[in-house]
Parts: sequence; structure tokens; C-alpha cells
Amino acid sequence: MSDGEYDYLIKFLALGDSGVGKTSFLYQYTDGKFNNKFITTVGIDFRERRVIYNSTGSDGTTGRGQKIHLQLWDTAGQERFRSLTTAFFRDAMGFLLLFDLTNEQSFLSIRNWMSQLQIHAYCENPDVVLCGNKCDLGDQRAVSQVEARELAEKYGIQYFETSAASGQNVSEAVDVLLDLIMKRMERCVDKSWIPDGTVRANGPTNPDLSEGSDRGKCSC
Amino acid sequence: MMAEQPLWEQIGSSFVQHYYQMFDSDRSQLGSIYIDTSCLTWEGQPYQGKIAIVEKLTSLPFTKIAHSITAQDHQPTPDNCILSMVVGQLKADEDPIMGFHQSFILKNINDAWVCTNDMFRLAIHNFG
Repeated sequence: MSDGEYDYLIKFLALGDSGVGKTSFLYQYTDGKFNNKFITTVGIDFRERRVIYNSTGSDGTTGRGQKIHLQLWDTAGQERFRSLTTAFFRDAMGFLLLFDLTNEQSFLSIRNWMSQLQIHAYCENPDVVLCGNKCDLGDQRAVSQVEARELAEKYGIQYFETSAASGQNVSEAVDVLLDLIMKRMERCVDKSWIPDGTVRANGPTNPDLSEGSDRGKCSC
Repeated sequence: MMAEQPLWEQIGSSFVQHYYQMFDSDRSQLGSIYIDTSCLTWEGQPYQGKIAIVEKLTSLPFTKIAHSITAQDHQPTPDNCILSMVVGQLKADEDPIMGFHQSFILKNINDAWVCTNDMFRLAIHNFG
């Protein structure tokens, strides 16, 4: 964990069927690399990246850059053994919803993932970005851009065709999600609706994330 | 050389070997080790009886699974059963390797050992 000097800590979750490339996507975003080997991480459950967010004021002026500490969480595959619980979604502010453009079933599962989100996320319409991953595998494509866009429009969310292998649109998708969240926060003068612990202004991160003991310390 | 292993060690470890070998090759066959009063607690969800247990185990959404046993312990219980605990790792399809814990109670009924109690948990943390 890097130092505690940041304005906001924001947690994102990557969701989608097994094998759609969630881990590779996050790895590409945080490390700028594609790791096609099997990654077994023991003890590390999320990836992190610092970004500077430049908010635009209502008068069109650009505000001071805000230091954002992004935590990107992945599943370990436990959804095969049990359904994901509300605890898994706890404190997550934004969702990267992935499917595999070469696997139609993973696209059909998006509907189910969206209803899971509506049940478990902190509100019924959380910020979500839909990513059709593996767009570099053009010859194996099983889902057209048109049908993916139609689905995204139905849910009122943005759609990107991404490639964790080449890096195409990976940071763009995360940037759009961050932008949605920052705008959501700006819209709310009273930020008390944000779930406890989701956004912390300028505070150190609790090193023991497994306890969820940082809840209630939101100072925003 | 140590003396021959106690009986509960022999029975417990051969059960464990048999159980995971069946689980990894054809889990629909696992009905043979349970009885109608057997209890399974799978990630906190209770199932009772051979049929319900096998239905749960066969409906798990993966096609391939492999278990690797790291350690196992066995004890005799006061009512002549065997308590077994297993710590290991598993890999389902192409998912990352995960740790797990599983405990069993084995009982001798009509000269055959059956599993009356079975509890399973993934050993993952920070994932809610």
C-alpha cells in the first residue's frame, strides 16, 4: 500500500462470468501489461492505482486536481461455490461489468449480473460500465457490437469494446467509471447517502480490510 | 519405523482419498458415501439426506475440478465415529487456485463406513 496522501479512496468491483478476463483487465489497467499466464495471488485480493481527477465546475472552470486512490477488486472464483453476498459488494462504488466477446454465454449472463447488482449494490442504479473484452480476437467474435450496444442502452450504461491483451479501451473504461462516480458525488451536496467507507476523504486506509472495521469513519 | 497407524487414521485417510477421487472424477457417484440422515453444510447452506447432498454437489457450476490435499487429521470420537479434518487447495475449470477446509464425521453402520456429517468452506478472505 502506498502512502495515505489522497483525497478520495474509491473501490471498484470487476464482475462477470468466469474466464471473461477480469483479472487480466485489472492487471492491464494497474500495471500496463498483459499476463496470459495463470496468476495465483495469495493474500492479495485487489489491485490499486493512483489517478488525478480534474473536476469541472458548474461554471466551466477546472478545479484543483484531486488525488484518487482506486482499489480494483476481483473475485477469486468463489461464485462457483456460493452466490455472491451483499458483503462482497460492500463499500463498492463503481462496477466494471465484463463479458467475453468470443463467448455468447458470458454476454447472456450480463442480465443476471445486472440483477445481482440491483440487489446487492449500495443503491438500485449504481454506476456501471459494460466491457466486451477480448476484442483483439476478431476472428472468434460471437457477440456483435450492435447487440452489445443495444443491451447497454437498455440499462442506460456505457459500453466499451476492450482488450486486456492489447490494452485497448481499458483505461478509457475505468476513466469513464471514475468520472461517473465523481460527478455523482459532486451532484450531492450532502454526501451522507454514500455508503460508509466507500469514499474517504484524505484519510489513511485501514490496513485490515477483512474486518470491514473502517465503516463509519467516512469523514466526507 | 513407527508402529502401524491407529485404525481411525487408516480409515480416515482412505476415506479422504476415496472422497476426493470420486469428487474430481464423477461427483454423481458420491451418493454411495452418504445416508438419508447425513448432513452437509456447504458454504453455510444446509443440505440433509443423500439425495439433496448429491443434487447440490452435482449442480455446482464447473465441469472440471481438482483437489489437492495439504493436510488431514483424524480422531476417534466417544461414540466410535471418526472425525476428519482436511485442509487443501482446489482448482475449478480455469479459475485461480483456492484454499478450502472440509470436515467429516464417519460412522460404521452394518460393517460399512458412511459419512454422517460434512462441512465445507473455501479458505478465502476479504471477499465477503
